[in-house]
Order: sequence, then C-alpha cells, then structure tokens
Amino acid sequence: MSDQYTNEPLLDMFLFETSQLIEQLEQSVLISEQENCFTEDAINEIFRIMHTIKGSAAMMMFDNIASLAHAMEDLFFYLRKENPKEIDCSAISDLVLEGVDFIKNEVNKIQNNDLVDGNSDTLINKINECLNNLKQINITSLNETISLDETIPLNEIKPIDKTDVLNDLYIAKGTKYNNEFKAIIHFDDDCEMENIHAFSVINKLKKITSEFSYIPADIIDCDESIEVIRNEGFQIYLKSDESYENISNFFMRTIFLKELELVQFKNEDEQKPSCKNNQVLAQKCPIKLANAGDTVKIKNEQIEKETSSSTAQQSIISVNVAKLDKLMDLVGEMVIAETMVLRNPDLQGLELSNFKKSANQLTKITTEIQDIVMSVRMVPLSITFNKMHRIVRDMCKKLDKEVQLEIIGSETEVDKNIIEHISDPLMHLVRNAIDHGIDTDEERQQKGKPIAGVVTLEAKNVGSDVLIIVKDDGMGLNRSKILKKAKENNLIYKDEDDMSDNEVFNLILLPGFSTNDKVTEFSGRGVGMDVVAKNIESVGGTVSIESIEDKGTTITMKIPLTLAIIDGMNIKIGDSCYTIPTMSIKEFFKPNEDDIFTDPDGNEMIMVRGQCYQIRRLHEMYKANVSTTDFSDGILIMVEQNDKIACLFADELLGQQQVVVKSLPKYIQSFKKTKGLAGCTLLGDGSISLILDVSNIFSF
Amino acid sequence: MKKVLVVDDAVFMRMAIKNILEKNDFEVIGEAGNGVEAVEQYKALKPDIVTMDITMPEMTGLEALQQITDFDSNANVVMVSAMGQDSMVRESIIYGAKSFILKPFKEDHVVKTLNQVLAV
Repeated sequence: MSDQYTNEPLLDMFLFETSQLIEQLEQSVLISEQENCFTEDAINEIFRIMHTIKGSAAMMMFDNIASLAHAMEDLFFYLRKENPKEIDCSAISDLVLEGVDFIKNEVNKIQNNDLVDGNSDTLINKINECLNNLKQINITSLNETISLDETIPLNEIKPIDKTDVLNDLYIAKGTKYNNEFKAIIHFDDDCEMENIHAFSVINKLKKITSEFSYIPADIIDCDESIEVIRNEGFQIYLKSDESYENISNFFMRTIFLKELELVQFKNEDEQKPSCKNNQVLAQKCPIKLANAGDTVKIKNEQIEKETSSSTAQQSIISVNVAKLDKLMDLVGEMVIAETMVLRNPDLQGLELSNFKKSANQLTKITTEIQDIVMSVRMVPLSITFNKMHRIVRDMCKKLDKEVQLEIIGSETEVDKNIIEHISDPLMHLVRNAIDHGIDTDEERQQKGKPIAGVVTLEAKNVGSDVLIIVKDDGMGLNRSKILKKAKENNLIYKDEDDMSDNEVFNLILLPGFSTNDKVTEFSGRGVGMDVVAKNIESVGGTVSIESIEDKGTTITMKIPLTLAIIDGMNIKIGDSCYTIPTMSIKEFFKPNEDDIFTDPDGNEMIMVRGQCYQIRRLHEMYKANVSTTDFSDGILIMVEQNDKIACLFADELLGQQQVVVKSLPKYIQSFKKTKGLAGCTLLGDGSISLILDVSNIFSF
Repeated sequence: MKKVLVVDDAVFMRMAIKNILEKNDFEVIGEAGNGVEAVEQYKALKPDIVTMDITMPEMTGLEALQQITDFDSNANVVMVSAMGQDSMVRESIIYGAKSFILKPFKEDHVVKTLNQVLAV
C-alpha cells in the first residue's frame, strides 16, 4: 500500500497519464498485429511507454504494475537493440494485450479505491519465457558491437601497450609528478550506487592527473564493488604536482562525501601496494572509456535517426472534469440571472432604450461564454471509437469470424458527459453486431457476400443532435422470430399485423428480451439492448433500429448536443407556466373551429394543410385550472418529435427564452411519476416553469 | 530560492519532482518534455540546476546534456534515471552531469543531491 494515496493530484495525474499511455499502446499493438510486423517506430513507442509506466508506477508504489512494465520493457529493449528477424508477431501481441488488460484492471481498482492486488507473476514469467526463446532463436554476433554493458573477465586482461590511445587522453607523456597521495573516500550511508559515484570521482580526477589507481578496481561492471566501497571506502592512489591542500579541496567537493582520509607520501616513505593487476586495471579503464566514447557516438546517430511518434506538442493543458462541471453549472446560473435582470418585473413599462442596448451587449457576451464553455467540454468520439478495435479483434478471435471495423466521422465531438454514457452501449452494439449480426464465413460465402464482414461506426452532426450509427452487413433481424419471442414474454401491445417493421425491431429494446436461446459469454442474457436504450435515454437521446434480412442491421442513436441549456418557448396554461423546447416546435396558430373534429376513438383532431393531427389539451393532461376551454381563446402549438406530430392546446404564448434545464427535485420524482416533464426552470420574474418532454407527451 | 528546470517526458514525473522541490526551497522555473525543449528552456531561463530524464523522445537526456554543457560548461545537470540504466548514467557523467537520481526516488535523496551539487 502506498502512503502517497493522500497525494490526490499526483495520483490523478498518474491515473490520467497511465490510462492515456495504455490506450496509445493498445492501438499501436493492434495495428502492428494487423500488419503482422513490429516496425522500429512501434517497438520504440512500446518500449518508451512501458519505461514511463514502470517509472511512474514505481514512484506510486504500485509494484505489480511496475514489475510487469519492467518485464515488457526488457522484452522490447531486446527487440529494439537486436532487431531479430524471426519473431512471432501474433504471440507477442497477445502478450502485450494481456499486459494492457492487467494494467487497465489495476488502474480501475485504483480509481475505485479498491485494493490493488492483482498478481502479475504469471504474465511476467510468460514474457520472460518469450524473451528467452527469442534470445535463443536469434543469437547474433554480439562481439561486433562493443557495448558498454560488456563485462571483461579479469583473466582476459592483457598488458597494455597501446600508448597512443593513452596519449589521446593524458595530458603529457612521461610526466613525472612530484607528489604522491592516498585518499580514502567514504560516501554517505544512504547514497546508493556508490560505484557510480566513485566513477564520477575518477572521471573528474583524470582531468588533473594521469597517474592514479584505485580499489576496488572494477567500478563499472562489478556490482559487488558497491559493498566493498561501503565497507572499506573507495581508495585512490594518485600522483600529482598539486599541493595537499588543493588535492584535499578537490576531493572534498565530492557529492555525498561522508569522510575523506587524505595522506601525502613523502618520497620513498610508504610503499603503496604495488598490485600489478591493480595498475593494469586502472589503465584498462581509460581504454574502456575510449570505447565508451565510440559507442556513444554510434548510439547518438541511431537516436537521431529514430523518428518517434512523440506526444503532440500543441498548447494543451489537462483540466479536472469537476471544474468543467462547476463551470457549466455557473454558466447556467448566469443565464438564469441574466434573464432575471433583463425581464425583471420592475422594468415593466419603462422607457429603456439605453438599457436595452447594454442588455443586448450583455446577452451577446453571455451567449459567447456559453458557447465556449460548451466547446471546452466537447471531446471527439475518436477515443471511444478507437476502443472498439480491440473489441472487434477479441470477438473475431473468439468466434472465428473475420470482421473489419470501418470508422467514419470520428472527429465529431460530443460533450464529455455524453461520452461516458455512450461507451458501454457502443461496446454492446458492436459485440451484438459481430455475435448476432455477422453471419459465419460459410453462410457468407453461400450468400455471395465477401468473407470479411463489415461493421461500420459512423458519427455525424445533424441539426443540434449527434447521430451515432452502428451498421453491419450481416443477417439482419428476423421479424417473425422477434414477434414470437415478444409474445412469449408478453411484450406485445398491438396487433401483430398492424406493427411496422420499425416497431417490431424496436421490441428488442424492451427489458428481458432476447432471441438467443443460449447464454454465451457475450450475449443472451437479454439485459443488453434495454440497458443501451436506457443509457441513451438518460442523456436525452433515442435509439432506432432498421434492418433488411440478409443485408444487415443499422442501429442509430440520436443524442442532443446540449443537455443543459436550451431555447424554450414559454406558454401559459391556466395559472401555470410551462416551457416547450423550441426545437420541437414546428409552428403555432390560432385554430379554426371548422378544422377540428373528433375521430372514432374520441380523439380530437385537426386538419392542417390536408394533414390530420391529434390535439392534446395540455390543461387536461396537467390538470390546470383554466378560465376557458374554447379553442378560439387559446393557441395550438404544433410539435414534432421522432417524426410524430401533434398539436398542443395552450392558453397563450409568453415568449421565447434561453432556458436552463434543471431536473425535478428528487423528492418530487420519487413521490410521483409525472409524465411528459423533462425538468423545470426559472423564469425572468423568478417563477417556476415546467419543461415539457415532447416525446413523452405522445405516449400520454 | 534556487531555480530548477525539470525535464521529463512524463507529466506525472515532472509533477512528482516539482512537488518535492517546491516543498524544499526550490523554485521550478520551467519544465520541458523532451531534449529539444530542455535545451531551449535552459538557454532562455538560465536555471541554477536541471533535473534531466535520460529516456525521452525527440532528443534524449544525454544529447540535451551535451548541448547544454556545450552552451554552459558550468551547467549543473542532475540525471534522472530508472534502475538498470547504469551505463547511460556513466555516459552522462562523462558528458558533464554533476550527479544522478534513481527512480523511484525518495524526497530526502533528491533534495540532498540537488543541494550538494549546488554547494560545490
């Protein structure tokens, strides 16, 4: 467990960044898997992502994630370095995707404040096994590339006679230094990696003298030297022309120095241990450093050539969604407050030309603020759509079907709120399309269809709505099968023959409906489509289904772009005010008594330009007290929703207003289920108006 | 207050380091997400000290280090490295890095390292 859980912003950032990286990684792997090869860029990208996740997870003490990322990083480091020819792309993709799933799971646990207890050991073992296999299959001649990690065993040290090389590094040949020193450096207890600190000292030392040696001698490859330095200190023997004081100052500037013992030998006084090995090893080091220089150069060139798919360097900042929600609420309050000022009863009947000018300016500005706040919350659907690739891939593998995913219009944007409600329904619809929709390979062949099925995801803006369409070219829906199942579950409310195809297909959206006889891993529990419908309705949208047998099925989700602030028309019914969303209004007019008649079922109808529409008396629906029920005293408002049209009868129109939709208080909702209300709002004079939900009025 | 330039391609890492530094008398005057930005920022802001991640896209920490020390031979650059990157840390020392921090790092260690480098 980490005590950094209390550091909320840091944890949020970790979750945000890790989630982003994982998504990126998943896309990259899916593409590589499709192309059946890992390009240099892909390998680099995957390596870097794993490296970053390893570091961040370790910092936040999520060790299971860190060690998994480390194992993957090692695998891709190998792929990057050796570039082996024989790799099983599919197997490696599976492994990486398994890792992706693991990390996604753990991140979810963190977000839900659950125990991060996933065990990555099995997967790590699999990865290591894969790496070992790769190494065995692709044994390359490592001897050619001099790598810095190369360990040169002690017994291979040959006496150095490459004096030329030494000359390059040393200041002068055969300098006779006058002073001899011995220094023992003890580093701080918590310093760690003492060998690298020692290396740093030596690196600086060679700038002031060319004759020195040190114990332990191998501070590059030998990790045991760390212990030696910790216990006995880092011993350096050197010759120089510098004074004792200067040498002392030099060593005192060592980082993490705990203690320095510095002794100057008088000539011939003490014998420094003449360990030949020691001498040779010390001289060996410069050679190594020279080689290091070469290898570094090569590496740098390689790095320059690498074109990395870097994170987009636009001016972007990430904002907490809670802040955006608050901003949105405040904008709503601002619109209400603005209306209350501009339509204040105190202003009735006053001569207000100057005021009106300023009011217009104010309105202009608040409208602009509104638009920008809305747009800030808009997020392209591409992120959600791209998640579907993984689902298609997994479904195809499991069901042994071949399906291509086509995505159109993914740059279409929707409010962030909506994205969260769309993701699950979309996944369900895509799964359905592949599971039920797409016929098997043989069936497709028989029908003369191309073997690969096509599932199309499309998004587009139509008016103030966003349409999201899931289309497949599979078997289509079977009308009779659906009717049969609906009858079994008592879901039919109309005579079968009277039902249009659309109505029949929409039956599958009802709870408890499923024509699948078996419950599979993916479907058949009959809870899918109705949950889809509910999710979409909860953001104010609708679902409609079209299908042609053997050609395919199309499911369209229509979602309004703005939830909270709409243009509304205020109307009066008796003493009460109601508001109708202007987008639902087609026209209003004073009815002509002659055009009104009653149909055989007792419904009042009106003829308008040769078409017949039903009249709904709002005062009856909402039990309002009205002074008159004569049509001539009131007004008819023709509204349309989902291709259905009706005329609403109200007393009078009060005027248009920008309306901030507030949902009905919970206690009212739970107390009484009022039909046909989408919410409520405040009018300019502070009174409350109920907002009509036009689509529900039709089912009153 | 000592002025620091924090360089790492992971926003999370920059945030983590920044948190530690700002609690300990350092002022983070700039951040960079890759080597190219690091060099630009260094030249523009002239910080007292730089924390430099080794593995970055566009230009690695090593290259950025080289360019910075070419520009300012007294530059104080502390490399930030993951475990197992010993060889790259040594390379960076050769190229003038004053010291290094290993990930995952502890607050005191980071502060101590930076303070010691500045004290020299």
